[in-house]
Amino acid sequence: MDQSLIRNFCIIAHIDHGKSTLADRILEATGAVRGTAQEQMLDTMELERERGITIKMTAVRMTYTAKDGNTYQFNLIDTPGHVDFTYEVSRALYACEGALLLVDATQGVEAQTIANANMAMNQNLTIIPVVNKMDLPHADLEMAKEEIENALAIDASEAIPCSAKTGLGLIDILEAIVERIPPPNGDPEAPLRALIFDSHFDSYQGAVTYCRVKDGMVKPGDKIKMMSTDKVFSVDEVGVFRPALERGSELSTGEVGFVTGAIKSIGDASVGDTITSAENSATVALPGYRKAKPMVFCGLYPTDSDEYEDLRDAIEKLRLNDASLDFEPETSAALGFGFRCGFLGLLHMEIARERLEREFGLDLILTAPSVDYIVHRTKGDELHISNPSDMPPPNEIARIEEPVVDATIMVPNEYVGAVMTLCQERRGVFKRSEYPTHKRTTIYYSLPLAEILLDFFDKLKSSTRGYASFDYEFSGYQDSELVKVDIMLNGDVVDALSFIVNRTFSYPRGRAIVEQLRKVVPRQQYEVKIQAAIGAKIIAADVIKPFRKNVIAKCYGGDVSRKRKLLEKQKKGKKRMKNIGSIEVPQEAFLSVLKVAE
Amino acid sequence: MSTSPVAIYLHTPFCPSKCGYCDFNSYAMTGEIIDQTVEAIILELERSPWRGTSAKTIFFGGGTPTFLSEKQLTRLLHKVLEIHPPVPGCEITSEANPGTVDMPKFAAMVQAGFNRISLGAQSFEQSDLLTLGRVHEPSHIARAVAMAREAGFRNLNLDLMFALPGQSRKAWSINLQTAIDLKPDHLSLYCLTIEPNTRYYRLNLRGMLDLPDDEVQREMYEEAVTKSSQFGYRQYEISNFAQEGKECQHNLCYWRNECYYSYGPGAVGCFEDQEGRRLRYTNMKHPSLYVEAISLGKKLWCDEDLIDPKTSEFEQIMLGIRLNSGLDVSRVSVDTRSIKTLVRRGWVTHKENYLFLTPEGRHFCSEVALLLSPN
Repeated sequence: MDQSLIRNFCIIAHIDHGKSTLADRILEATGAVRGTAQEQMLDTMELERERGITIKMTAVRMTYTAKDGNTYQFNLIDTPGHVDFTYEVSRALYACEGALLLVDATQGVEAQTIANANMAMNQNLTIIPVVNKMDLPHADLEMAKEEIENALAIDASEAIPCSAKTGLGLIDILEAIVERIPPPNGDPEAPLRALIFDSHFDSYQGAVTYCRVKDGMVKPGDKIKMMSTDKVFSVDEVGVFRPALERGSELSTGEVGFVTGAIKSIGDASVGDTITSAENSATVALPGYRKAKPMVFCGLYPTDSDEYEDLRDAIEKLRLNDASLDFEPETSAALGFGFRCGFLGLLHMEIARERLEREFGLDLILTAPSVDYIVHRTKGDELHISNPSDMPPPNEIARIEEPVVDATIMVPNEYVGAVMTLCQERRGVFKRSEYPTHKRTTIYYSLPLAEILLDFFDKLKSSTRGYASFDYEFSGYQDSELVKVDIMLNGDVVDALSFIVNRTFSYPRGRAIVEQLRKVVPRQQYEVKIQAAIGAKIIAADVIKPFRKNVIAKCYGGDVSRKRKLLEKQKKGKKRMKNIGSIEVPQEAFLSVLKVAE
Repeated sequence: MSTSPVAIYLHTPFCPSKCGYCDFNSYAMTGEIIDQTVEAIILELERSPWRGTSAKTIFFGGGTPTFLSEKQLTRLLHKVLEIHPPVPGCEITSEANPGTVDMPKFAAMVQAGFNRISLGAQSFEQSDLLTLGRVHEPSHIARAVAMAREAGFRNLNLDLMFALPGQSRKAWSINLQTAIDLKPDHLSLYCLTIEPNTRYYRLNLRGMLDLPDDEVQREMYEEAVTKSSQFGYRQYEISNFAQEGKECQHNLCYWRNECYYSYGPGAVGCFEDQEGRRLRYTNMKHPSLYVEAISLGKKLWCDEDLIDPKTSEFEQIMLGIRLNSGLDVSRVSVDTRSIKTLVRRGWVTHKENYLFLTPEGRHFCSEVALLLSPN
């Protein structure tokens, strides 16, 4: 394929600004799918599924005949929409030469747009501003353009007004892709270098890698090598998605598609890695590879300790498809055997938990999420601590560093005060603010990652009536005055409930958690004392009174089934509880640390 | 099919009004639906698969059976007696609301064959009756007792409730004494239970019911037990107390986990099929639906619960432990380790094959059943 006829691009947009609708329109306009798009795409997917192939709509090949008479190959690369997957986004961008920057004509630029647009600009992508939803009555093209210029410093004079819903501006967009986005300029004669920007695991074919050929070409039968691991594989198939899977004879320079080669572990097809030829290897890998780095950690335990092995199997299966999931066995005095798992972020954690429970039918207890702290000990060494119960005693600690993020928050001017108050409460350090329009402010803060693990986003939404948009990026570590707070039930420390917190917040948070536990731990035969402590010092305490009677008044013929079912349910509930000492503690108690309202 | 005598229950779902705590299948309806329902019950009886099985006991519950006319009650009982010939000495009970009875009705009922009357007194405090939503007044209770006696009922029960919103210990004490002074043969003393789908449930959720706390409820219950025993009412079940020989034979059938055949809208029955499998069924609840199902010959049940042997054993434990005569553990498999735990807690005593709740254990009857049931 002549590189000058290839255009690789992606769409950058904030949630709900119409990315998937625009993608659908482009697919239709290029004939990749016809008219009743949804149906046809689904039909094909169904068919593929029957053959045991899972399709991930990560990259779609289209053909477009432009006004200049040439027929172009378009590759639309999808980018994940969540801040947890920033690294994946950066790799997807690196596979493109250009990006459509989609901005909602009624909303303007949002925080996520800024983060992704900046990333795209840093990678020298050509950016085509597109103002969507022009069909809406309160669409404001000038406002959107002004924001694009002020917030992103992108020339918006040639922004394309469009409506993905009605198709307005669609041809302009397609022509702009041809005219403005440069073609790839790889070296067809050089040794193969292909960037992996995504992958999924298929039980028949092994890892299916999605890649962008930067230099050289790849075809079935080739011996390829992963440059980060030097592992060699033999290519079984190459091909593209149109969007139905289509095998091909080769992927040539500049093209985007998939490669399979009996790659048994998805860890061997890491996002960001470079595929080269085993025989004629490139000397330098493509820049930017890094191992996926978990940012959020939590303990995963089976509610029923007999399910430990099942949980191990399930996590291993999940990891087949998710190389960024990290886990190792751990033991808790309260919860027994389980795993410490690392995730890219909270959403990633939620997805993993949901899949484990739904797809594998497990009942799980999750401990409160924690970040990775660097603890410098007095004897000079340093430890990475992501489990509060591993924290050394205070007298052995010289200092502790915690991860911080650079946060971008965009908000209408009237909510700036509320946002700043919230950030301040969460130990944020104000960096600067910008004014993309006279109505809105972009606020930059440095925030401890631990502080946004709790309910930061919910709080942000509620204090700005939903108007704030938020994005963040890991920026490094900083010293912090941190303490471990233990929670005790009748005097025994429940290790799974311990948490690490800035000293300033230890009292209010300790109190709030004790209060929360008092609500979720059911009354027992005995009085239950709940305490929060730093070392030996009790900082909060409460008591759950014992229960003194059952509901027992009557049980006649009409009541028997119902009463029995109630008791059966109670019995099941008891099984789902963890016995800590003689106290029955329900699952939700272990997440109460999360639900603390301050 | 069982040929030995069986307990028969008949449900009349009508009430003058719906009480705030009541989660029974009852409706404040009037007009022709009542007659239609009576006729439908007659048809259900006539079509009964258990025609001819004799009645060990008969019980008319509700709703308010006495909301029906003398004629309707008589007609229904006559049909029951025709379909299920009573054994000699068969206990035939009707529930009654002190506000919906008069001398002619009681007389007609005795005439028809009823020999036990159960009066829903609930409280002798005007304010309690108002908040509960009862239609009767305190004075109606003594009058109803007197009329029932005069009409010839020699077996009479009073239902009373305690732990009512705002009720003091003293108020309960007076209520209890007032009831005992009326010399009923039997007392059913219930702790008010807040059931889902009732007005009380919703009020309670909003914190608008001033219910006595657990400690006070326990004291009220303990007083119920001691005081009734002082006056010769022997406790034979958690909430039931009777003079010698006046235990309710019908309700005992439930607690002994026997079968019972039931008729009427929302009636729940329990039987064993030819293969000996136990099934509990619930009839269509709403009178109109019930009448329609009967007239079209459609399936009458809205719910069925197939009770496997293991589940049946659990029910046996749950019900049997309520009785003062104890749970025969040679007939059900129980968790033997739990027995030790329960004895240590002082909740049960163990004599030969029988387990008995202690006075303390009676407060934890559900907990005991849960612990005893094997996994």
